[in-house]
Amino acid sequence: MLEITNLHARVEEKEILKGINLTVRPGEVHAIMGPNGSGKSTLASILAGKNDYEVTEGSVEFNAKDLLELDPEERAGEGLFLAFQYPVEIPGVTNTYFLRSALNAIRKYRGDSELSPTEFMKHIKSKAAMMELDSTMLSRSVNEGFSGGEKKRNEIFQMAVLEPTLCVLDETDSGLDIDALKIVSNGVNTLRGPERGVLVITHYQRLLNYIVPDFVHVLMGGRIVKSGGRELALELEEKGYGFIEEEIAAKA
Amino acid sequence: MLDIKIANDPLLLDYEDRVRVNAVNGPEWFSEIRSKGFRAYSEFGVPTIRDEEFKYFPLNGISDWKLGHPYGVTLTREALEATGVGKIDAVTLVFINGEFSPELSSYDALPEGVFVGTLAEGAEGFEQVVKDNLAQIATYQGKLGSTNDPRFVELNNALLSEGAFVYIQKNQTLERPIHVVFVNRAEEKRFTVAPRLLVVLEENAEAKLLESHIGLGGDYLSIPVAEVRLAASARFEHDRFQQETLSAYHISNTFVHQEGKSVYTSNNVNFGGKSARNDVNAYVNGEYAETLLNGANVATGDQVLDNHTRIDHALPNCQSFEIYKSILKDNGVGVFNGKIFVYEDAQKTDAKQTNQAILLSPTATMNTKPQLEIFADDVKCTHGATIGQLRDDAMFYLRARGVPKAQAEAILVYAFAAEVLDKVTIEEAKSALEAVLFEKLA
Repeated sequence: MLEITNLHARVEEKEILKGINLTVRPGEVHAIMGPNGSGKSTLASILAGKNDYEVTEGSVEFNAKDLLELDPEERAGEGLFLAFQYPVEIPGVTNTYFLRSALNAIRKYRGDSELSPTEFMKHIKSKAAMMELDSTMLSRSVNEGFSGGEKKRNEIFQMAVLEPTLCVLDETDSGLDIDALKIVSNGVNTLRGPERGVLVITHYQRLLNYIVPDFVHVLMGGRIVKSGGRELALELEEKGYGFIEEEIAAKA
Repeated sequence: MLDIKIANDPLLLDYEDRVRVNAVNGPEWFSEIRSKGFRAYSEFGVPTIRDEEFKYFPLNGISDWKLGHPYGVTLTREALEATGVGKIDAVTLVFINGEFSPELSSYDALPEGVFVGTLAEGAEGFEQVVKDNLAQIATYQGKLGSTNDPRFVELNNALLSEGAFVYIQKNQTLERPIHVVFVNRAEEKRFTVAPRLLVVLEENAEAKLLESHIGLGGDYLSIPVAEVRLAASARFEHDRFQQETLSAYHISNTFVHQEGKSVYTSNNVNFGGKSARNDVNAYVNGEYAETLLNGANVATGDQVLDNHTRIDHALPNCQSFEIYKSILKDNGVGVFNGKIFVYEDAQKTDAKQTNQAILLSPTATMNTKPQLEIFADDVKCTHGATIGQLRDDAMFYLRARGVPKAQAEAILVYAFAAEVLDKVTIEEAKSALEAVLFEKLA
């Protein structure tokens, strides 16, 4: 469903991604790990359509469409969802209004009819319960005054409501205590299924104890330098990113 | 000299005729207020943009208007209810072109110690209260600085006739909101209308009031004056909704006098008028009082929306908090001038002023001027002004969730102003204002 080929990107003059290749098929969970500054979040932002980056080479196909040609809202319509590393506060817009606008826009994009207010409320209440979110939060402004953990839970809640086919989680585990981490992971696991791909971007192995990946990729210096199964994440946890640097150096 | 000025002043052309009609309403002693106002206004005449206080508010558009008497227009209940705020359940007083409409008003069955009615009725039942306050609160006398411009207050005094009076006695709370509606409709003739509102809350009294100015057609000039006196520990929410016609001028002056521990909240919502100007002046004459001034403005087309606030902190330990927001589209012009005077005795004053504007077109303009004059040394006064476009991060967040760009913009613009409307606690008024805002931005 997602096919990234030789992706190069830069910010101003600085080249950050230097040739990424990655294929995600429906039903697969991929983890991208890497040290700070390796380009993980840049990759997530480019997939979602943030225009702070310039793609200089390569391509990204999503559902056989050229993803890079689509506006952010079209990508969401196609089924892509990015759980933000730093969710944005929007004072004056309630969570309910925000989600109804989003869900109905996505439905419209797909040629489905809008949900009635009753259907919509039923839908989001069941998802809120799944994420163990207090229902008063629905009438609060988007992320305004939320704690770090609440914001991350809200991201996964939105994901559950919008039911995307490709979920990209950008450092969703950062700033979470163990209880919140379990709730968030549980939410993601509920969404796992044969039709859905998941891309988990993280610095630490910890999250992968709960969201068990099929594939693990190590991103360093703007390239995927090593790929493997779940055991690679455990190895990284044990040895740190240094051992891969040594491996690369040895090969060179 | 004076006579020539008067003869040429479009706002005084039919003055004598108008006074004859106006004199029918209210007690005889109103005539003293009228003549004092007439004399004071005559010395100034219509301001020009050379007058500092009207620098961004050109009035040359009215110079060749013949401003006749506004009375005699009627309105059906259906027409009133068709306006955005026409159906709010409240103790309601309706004035059509300044003329009281008993048919459209409902103000009976009020609790003990509460009076809501016309100025004339009030002056009969509570003569001393009206005498002590009417045209007494609306003055700059005894206040620091002299940069404010009283001429439209004086002109309103000169045209004093009908108006609304709210009087809440000691320890009384009126749970039901009050709605004072000034509806204006000019048919063939243009006119000047001088709406008037007087609110007196005694010690520990509480009330909420929505003051609406609704234009239903035509060109006219409305120059409302509202006076509010809050005795110690009184609490008053003063919501104000201005939606005059897009060819009307609206120049309002609100004066508040606060005693110790009183709380005054003003939520000032401006969507209408060709040019609309609002002055809100609060004089805080007691300790531990709070003054909250909020404003939401949306100017489209060639509208000019000008807001001047002034808070006089005369005594120590008071707080004021001000947030004024403007959304400017097309050639819209916004003006904000925020004066805060902290008198020598007013130690421990805590004043915060914020002015924010969003410009949605390259030809929209915002002029903002904080003006703090502080004569005490142990105070906390902050002010901040931002002028900008919509936040990029919020735009991207909405779009990444699937909301198309144009809709995301509309949501964020709406939210920017809705933050101020949220402060209105008269629920029906809040929803009505939100609906009008939504329509205005569509």
